[in-house]
Amino acid sequence: MIAYKFLRPDGRSLFTGFRWRLPDDEPGEWVSAPVTPCRSGIHACRTSDMPFWLARALYEIELDGEVVEQRTKLVASRARLLRRVEAWDDERRDAYTRMCADRAHELALGASPALEDWDAVVEPSVPEGPALLGFVAARIAEEISGPQAYHAERAGQTRWLVERLGLET
Amino acid sequence: MAESADHITCQEVVELVTEYFEEVLPADELEVFEQHLNFCEGCDWYVDQMRTTVTAIGRIREEDVPEQTRERLVAAFREWKRS
Amino acid sequence: MAQLGQPSAAASTDEELLARLRAGDERAFESLVESYHGTMIAVARSYVRSRDVAEEVVQEAWIGVLGGLDRFEGRASLKTWIMRILVNTAMARGGREARSVPFSSLAPAGEEPPAVEPERFRQPGEAFAGHWNRYPADWSVLPEEGLLGGETLEVIKRAIEALPDSQRTVIAMRDVAGYSVEEVCDALDVTAAYQRVLLHRARSNVRAALERHLDG
Repeated sequence: MIAYKFLRPDGRSLFTGFRWRLPDDEPGEWVSAPVTPCRSGIHACRTSDMPFWLARALYEIELDGEVVEQRTKLVASRARLLRRVEAWDDERRDAYTRMCADRAHELALGASPALEDWDAVVEPSVPEGPALLGFVAARIAEEISGPQAYHAERAGQTRWLVERLGLET
Repeated sequence: MAESADHITCQEVVELVTEYFEEVLPADELEVFEQHLNFCEGCDWYVDQMRTTVTAIGRIREEDVPEQTRERLVAAFREWKRS
Repeated sequence: MAQLGQPSAAASTDEELLARLRAGDERAFESLVESYHGTMIAVARSYVRSRDVAEEVVQEAWIGVLGGLDRFEGRASLKTWIMRILVNTAMARGGREARSVPFSSLAPAGEEPPAVEPERFRQPGEAFAGHWNRYPADWSVLPEEGLLGGETLEVIKRAIEALPDSQRTVIAMRDVAGYSVEEVCDALDVTAAYQRVLLHRARSNVRAALERHLDG
């Protein structure tokens, strides 16, 4: 099955620091890791998971073997990187950040009464990038309309990514 | 008490760091913990501070044995050897 | 994990050590005493009031170890067995000093001191309550010699010294001496969850002391 994986620019995993062999013309090599819930296995994203794991580099990853679905990630026993999603570059990252910032302003200032203290956090957070702004927007949505709104905002972030990056859902 | 099941605050993160290092966080909690570290640079730095602290503690040399203790114990050992 | 039929590395070290001790190797005994001293003092001080009394407790414990060496069957590791003798000796001595079992002294839930002072975070009722007011420092940009060098270690030693007894015991065993969770639970007769709470507080306190030193 095809999924997505965010990595650091040097190809290391976000939390384990595992160094992936990056694909060029050919897919990368298969990597195996037994799936122990919370302990080991290879993490990957469905498109709906992506807003939670945004990082500098995005890859398409092929999963094989045992695949466990968790709330916001997949855990697989075998996987290989297929190709880099080149569309996720500095420009798109900045555009995503700006999209989330605009949404955050819209939500905070459109609320009645306006959430000015919440709005004040938005611009200073922009330099920290897409992952933070995605949270800020979703959190403001939740503050106004509850937990469902948090998820709805995240789903909107996913739709933006799928469309702008040309992903398969 | 977690702020919500979907996300945690920095204040909650700093209380969960030891469980995170010990790998005893339940799956759902681990997910929101790692999500938080992914978007929050401050907590990423805090977790790194804790890691550095533990590493530094590991560098402490064990205490020296005071001379009086050493003498008494060597004497006790020689006594025990004889018996 | 040892393969079937093959002794684990720790067991053959225990066997070698036992053989040398039983053969009267004084140097082996002195080495053993040296390597355990800091941890044994830390544990003893959880049960008795003064440093001097803790030294006496440690001495008494070693005499107990020598007395039991011939009978020791190796069912537990040498390390665990020695630490249990120490704990029993300390508890007996502590009992005489009318000091209650130290590990019952955890504050009730809700009264536990926080790892970081609440003022460092946005307050309840504020926007993004619970998030940092100001981020902690990025120590990864500091030179490693500064972080792990002599002055820093002195700060850490003093911070550990200043910890409440039960916190100091657990951090000494886990992080200074490198005992496993099982070894600590075995020696102190506490649950993994219990030692983890103490370890968490201890590490948080030491980090805070280190932060005060590094950030000025």
